[in-house]
Amino acid sequence: MTPATPDLHLIALLDRIAPADDGSRHAESEAALRELYDLTCSRLYGVALRVVVNREWAEDVLQEAYLSIWRVAGDYRAALSPPLAWMGLIVRSRALDFLRRRASERADAGVPLEGAVSETVAGDAPNPMDTSEASEQAWALHECLRKLETRQREVVSLAYLRDLSHSELAEQLQLPLGTVKTWIRRGLEQLRGCMARFA
Amino acid sequence: MDLSHHPDLLDRLAAAYALGTLRGGARRRFEAMARTSPTVRSRALLWQERFAAITELQPGEMPSPNVWKRIENLIAAQRSGAAREAQQPALVEAWRRALRLWRGAALAGTFATIAAIGVSVYLGAEVDRSQSQVAQLERERGALAQRSVQLASQLQAAPEIQYVAVLADEHSSASMLVTFDPKHNTLTVKRLGAFQEGPEKSLQLWALPPSGAPRSLGVMGDAPVIKLTAAEGQVRQVPALAISLEPRGGVPGEQGPTGPVLFKGALVPTS
Repeated sequence: MTPATPDLHLIALLDRIAPADDGSRHAESEAALRELYDLTCSRLYGVALRVVVNREWAEDVLQEAYLSIWRVAGDYRAALSPPLAWMGLIVRSRALDFLRRRASERADAGVPLEGAVSETVAGDAPNPMDTSEASEQAWALHECLRKLETRQREVVSLAYLRDLSHSELAEQLQLPLGTVKTWIRRGLEQLRGCMARFA
Repeated sequence: MDLSHHPDLLDRLAAAYALGTLRGGARRRFEAMARTSPTVRSRALLWQERFAAITELQPGEMPSPNVWKRIENLIAAQRSGAAREAQQPALVEAWRRALRLWRGAALAGTFATIAAIGVSVYLGAEVDRSQSQVAQLERERGALAQRSVQLASQLQAAPEIQYVAVLADEHSSASMLVTFDPKHNTLTVKRLGAFQEGPEKSLQLWALPPSGAPRSLGVMGDAPVIKLTAAEGQVRQVPALAISLEPRGGVPGEQGPTGPVLFKGALVPTS
């Protein structure tokens, strides 16, 4: 049977991964996890990589995230979000934990924090977003983000994915604080207007 | 001001809240309003859902094939491990692994030193005729013995973690790591999340015994790592710990927490 949408297929897989009511798991659970991994690992690795930047760290994050998904797949039955967004949030939260843990270990060891992740906001990249397999909700956001200037879209995405304040963003992107504030404000204004039409 | 009567301002604040750029006092005020007003709360949740989709739009990239192998191994290990272990968050497991490794390394160092002393004693007898060589070996032996004493005292000073707890907030994200070292009567609390209690508040750590009221284990300072003094009797057989938000300086222990419980989690013996 071919599922109607990728979302429904992912939802069915999460359901098969979750333990039965008596807490037992079948061998099928691991097979379903494997399938879910094959379908989503590149997308979720992309998220982890975007947050922590370093490839090795992103792989550690990805590993932790799939173990979390395996452990809490049953919770998805009570979730209202599309499956990929639900998993994306797990990856983001594991990635942020990873960065905090690392910062705290370095603080304990008396090692100063490494300099800001130097990154430039591309001014000319046409449209780096990828909507294949994305949910309908993501498609609406994509349409609205697409209308922003690239640099506004980038700072908005990074602010969210890395949970950064204006000043942290300014530091990481090596931009003046006022510029970051303006881009975020304009980006959010435009997004609000655009998303209201999809509501 | 009642935000529900200012839809445009509400929408702007809710979007900034969900994006994460609304910070400090403004964020706390917005959260307080959301707790009491369904209109504010639903707008905040709507924007959280909208932004969650950003994770769906990032360019994909293939991770190394090793990642799946590691996941498979960890799941197999969890299955064969005790059922109780399978319930523990990954962080606790990682911590335990690190602890075992560390202990192993320290012990291996001690054994290597003892073996080296044995060898040097044996060699000392064999080369009896050469005084200079013997003198040399004597010196080495002395140095090794000294090193062994140093190692022993390091082991004595090193913390011996016997209990670990990972305290999580209501979103189940790990926020505090608590370890207990009975040899030095030290509870160490390490902040993992970005939570800050503000200048007029303090966090207070509580033991939640199987029956009876919570017992205070101490009031935390605002450093990233906090050490509290506690006797093993205060944490032995305590199944869980919690952290509450209290007025600056904490509250008297016998009354139990007066503020909201922000973090809690199971206390697990490491052996």
